[in-house]
Parts: sequence; structure tokens; C-alpha cells
Amino acid sequence: MSTIAETARRGQARRRASIDGWRWGGRIFLVFMLLYTALPMIWMLITSIKSGFAAMQFPPQWWPDQPTLASYQKLLDPQNSVGQDFLRFFWNSLFVSTATTILSVIVAVPAAYAFSRFTFPGRNFLFFAVLLRNMFPAVIFLVPLFILMRAIGLVNTHGSLILTYLTFGLPLAIWLLKGFYDNIPVQLEQAARIDGATRFQAFILIVMPLSTPGIIATAIYSFIGAWNEYIYAYTFLSKNEQLTLPVGIQRFFSENTTDFPGLMAASFMMSVPVVVLFLVLQRYFVRALTEGAVKH
Amino acid sequence: MTIVTGKTGARGRLRPLLRKIWEHRADYAYVLPAIAVMLIVIAYPIYYTIELSFFNTPPGLQLRDKIFVGFGNYTSILTSPVFWKVTSNTLIWTLASTFIAFVLGFASALALHRDFIGRGVLRAILIIPWVISAVAASYIWKWIYHSDFGIIGAVLVGLGLADRPPNFIDSVSTVLPSLIVVNIWREFPFAMIMMMAGLQTVPDQLLRAAKVDGANAWQRFWHVTFPHLRNVSTVTILLLAVANFNSFIIPWIMTGGGPSNASHIWITHIYELAFGRQRWGVASAYSVLLFLILMTLGYFYVRALSGNERKDGSA
Repeated sequence: MSTIAETARRGQARRRASIDGWRWGGRIFLVFMLLYTALPMIWMLITSIKSGFAAMQFPPQWWPDQPTLASYQKLLDPQNSVGQDFLRFFWNSLFVSTATTILSVIVAVPAAYAFSRFTFPGRNFLFFAVLLRNMFPAVIFLVPLFILMRAIGLVNTHGSLILTYLTFGLPLAIWLLKGFYDNIPVQLEQAARIDGATRFQAFILIVMPLSTPGIIATAIYSFIGAWNEYIYAYTFLSKNEQLTLPVGIQRFFSENTTDFPGLMAASFMMSVPVVVLFLVLQRYFVRALTEGAVKH
Repeated sequence: MTIVTGKTGARGRLRPLLRKIWEHRADYAYVLPAIAVMLIVIAYPIYYTIELSFFNTPPGLQLRDKIFVGFGNYTSILTSPVFWKVTSNTLIWTLASTFIAFVLGFASALALHRDFIGRGVLRAILIIPWVISAVAASYIWKWIYHSDFGIIGAVLVGLGLADRPPNFIDSVSTVLPSLIVVNIWREFPFAMIMMMAGLQTVPDQLLRAAKVDGANAWQRFWHVTFPHLRNVSTVTILLLAVANFNSFIIPWIMTGGGPSNASHIWITHIYELAFGRQRWGVASAYSVLLFLILMTLGYFYVRALSGNERKDGSA
């Protein structure tokens, strides 16, 4: 008897030890990932509060002797030319990203709804044609789009960017939203229609509110994609006053190659809006992925 | 009516299809805006790229003066040594980035699955690199790798591992791995989010049942968790592979493809051919080849996705 109990206890102890082993492995791994992720960003912040002279030292100052916010003041001061440019780029990025986001929600919602609910001929073909857009790199479309935009007079306008960005966001947006609509029972709409609502009313009053998390996720995705886009903005826009942030910053710092504190401050400020937006709304995003893309 | 088969059977099949399309005409209104945008921005460019790939074009995009060269652009690509260098770079870049980003992301998702204090904060921090712009990421890492004032070089010298700071991105042998590290830094959070979402769909009862039956942690993972994640893993890996194959910003901003093509991948090379050297015909031929490769990948992508669809339909 006692030996059986003994072996059982020993087995349990061994199992606990192995579980602890996995758990400790997981913790050590997470610490490693945290360092890998966070250290570059911390170094960016530390560099951004150095003077240009303090940044160019070997060995580097781990913490600046005289921390200064001069780089940020310079970028945000509308009085000097650097600040003027930076604020204008910031405003351009905000305008292009917001317009893209609004338009892509307007276009993606009905399309995703139709792909989810209706069984019209060619539905699957069109759905996969939309998804295939994801497969192709920006560069393939660059030359012909440039010529197309020149032909319809959109080169050097923000319209060229908005139209192009729309097509990046759409495939994933439609895919995510379709998954959402698939999970909303048709009976809800049918009940509404029996009560006298038109199909459109049923859609606006029943389906739209239920799919809000999906729409928010779609909007975040479009906004971040448009905010960070570089290659089209780099090719389509040449006038300084129209540049968006990524291109503007690149152009500015290819002329001022040694101003690393300024560059790090600009990188930081360019990241703040999207990071804040994402952190505030991330639970919708993860939820949309769970419900839309993964759970089938 | 354009398809003349001479058989009444075909016509008999066409009629109901047309009637069905007519009956569903209102449904198309919902997808029309999406399809219209896609046609303008996708179908036309694809057609135009294929056409241009058979022509020799003078610089400056004066496309009226183009000269037909048949498959000349293709043969000149396939016989140039740069093509093979760039292709091997692209393969290393895509495979290494995809594999490591997926493994790190999956492992992070597993480690974050159990609840502990600070889990939400940790998860948020790990996602940030994916959200920030690749341009910002490139500059941050360019500064970290800087050959005179970079922090990694200083740490290596401080620890006595190097006499002087190494030239990470100015040396042919280290440039590609250094850029891959940056790329993984930006991409593993995507794999992590996807796999976290996937993990939530693994039924708890199954895991508990397996535990009762005496399965250890590894067995539970391998026999219960992993089979449930097969679909989401396939989709994640394919999306990562496509994104990596198509990357541009990190190599372009950090090195511009140098030194001596050591970090040129297909996309940066095509961009340089088109907008740097104005060789539109060759660049288009490159794009068509790229297109063919991506269509092959796309075939698997659609198959993985429609695998989900079919399961969906039967449920």
C-alpha cells in the first residue's frame, strides 16, 4: 500500500517539476522577448533627449549628462522651418489616413455583408479575387499606377494615395468583416424583417451594431496601414508641402545625416499616434481576429 | 451569347445562369464599389505590366517610343549574375524571417496564454514594434547598428568581445542577417496576435481531459493544442511569407541594397531598375516573374483559406 502511494506521490512531484520547468522556460523566454522588443525603443527615447554632441560619443553615454528636450521643441515649433515642415507632414499623414479609413469602412462593410449573406453567381471567385490582392507587392503596381495617376491628373495629390491605400486595407477588412457577419445569426435579421423592416433597415439597425468591434478593427488596420505607408507616397508625391510623415522624415534626414537625436525624436513622434490608437483599441482587434479570421 | 458551342446543352446551362445573375442583380450593388476600386488599381496595372515587359523603353517614361523586344528582357534577366545573387538573398530573407518570426510569435503566444500579473502590459509592449512605422524602425536600428556610435558595437567592445565596433550593415557578410533581425523584430508580434487568437479556440475541456488521462505538458501541446492550430498556423505562415517576400522599406532605408548588392532583394532591385535606372521594360519583366511566383504561393493561400470555408459550410 505504502509503496503505491509513494510512487503516486513521486509521479505527481515529477509532473509538477516538469510543469514548473515549462513555466520557467516560458518566463525566461518572455524576459528575452521583452528585452528584444523594448531595448531598441528605450534607446530611441534616450537618444532623443541628448544633444547632438552627446549622441556622438564613444563609448556612448548610457544616460545623457544633460538631458534636453531641444529636439522635440525644434520639431513642434511652428516658428522655425523644421517645425513647420514636421507639423505639415503630420497634418498630411493625419488627413490621408483618416480619409482612407472612412472610405475603406464605407466600401468594405457592404461588400463583406454581401459575401457573407448572398449567394450570387461568382461570389467565391470575386471573394478570392479580392483576397489575392494581398499577395502582390506594392512595387508591381507602382509603374502602371504612376502612369494611371498621371493620366487622370492625380499625381502630386493626396487623392492618389487615398485611392491606392484603399486597396491595401480592403482585402483584410472584407475578410475580417465577413467572418463577423458569418457569426451573426440570420434569424435576427429575419425577425426584424417580419416585423416590417426593410433589408436595409435590418442591416443598419441589427447587423451594424453587432459588428461594431469588427468595424473598429478594420478601421484601426486601415489607419495604421495608411499612416505607415512609404513606397507610394515616396513615388507619387514630389512637392515638399504634400509629403506624409515617413517620406518627409526620410527626405529631411537624408540631408541632415548626423542629427540622430532629431531623427529619434521624429521617429518617436511619428509612432505615438498609431501606438496609442492601437493600445486603446487592441482588444477589439484581437477579438475581431478571433471571431473573424480564426474561428470558422 | 458570345460562347457558341453548337450544343443546346450549353445554351440550356447558360440561360439559368443568366437568369440567376439577373435575379441577384441587387446583390452585386453591395460588392460593386469594392470590385470597381480593385479593377482600377489591380487589373489595369497587371495588364500594363505584362505589356511593358515585352518592350524596351527609353528613360523618362516617354512610353510612345517603346520598342518591341519579345522575350529579350526575360533572357537578359535570367542570364545576369545579379539576378541569382538577388534571388538567393530573397530566399534567405524570406525563409529566415518567416520561420523565426513564426516560432518566436507562437512561443510568445503560448507563454502569454496563462494568466499572470502584468500579462496585459507585457502583451501590449510586445505588439508595439508591429504597429510603428517600418521607416521609424529602420532608423532606430540603423542608429543601433551605427559603426561609430552604435550601442551594440559599444557593448561588444565594453565586454571585450571586439576590439572596435563591428560594421554590421556596411559589411557584405553581416548585412543580411542584421536586416533580418530588424524584420523579425517588426513581424513576430503579428504571428503572436494570430496565434493568441487561435489559442483561444482550443477547447479547455479537451486539455483538461487529456490532463486527467495523464498526458504531460508536451503531449497536451502536441496532440491537442497543435492540431487545433493547424489552419491558423498555415494562414499565418503564408501571410508572413508573402509579406517578407514583398518587403521593401527596411532594406531600402537601411542600406539601399548595398554593399555591392549584398542586401538587395527582389523588390528593392525592381524598384531600383524602374525608378533608379529607368529601365521600365526590364523592371516589368521582373514583376511578371514575381507575379508568377506569387500566383503559386497564392494558390496555396487560397487553398488554406478555402479549407476553412469548407469546414465552415459543413458546421
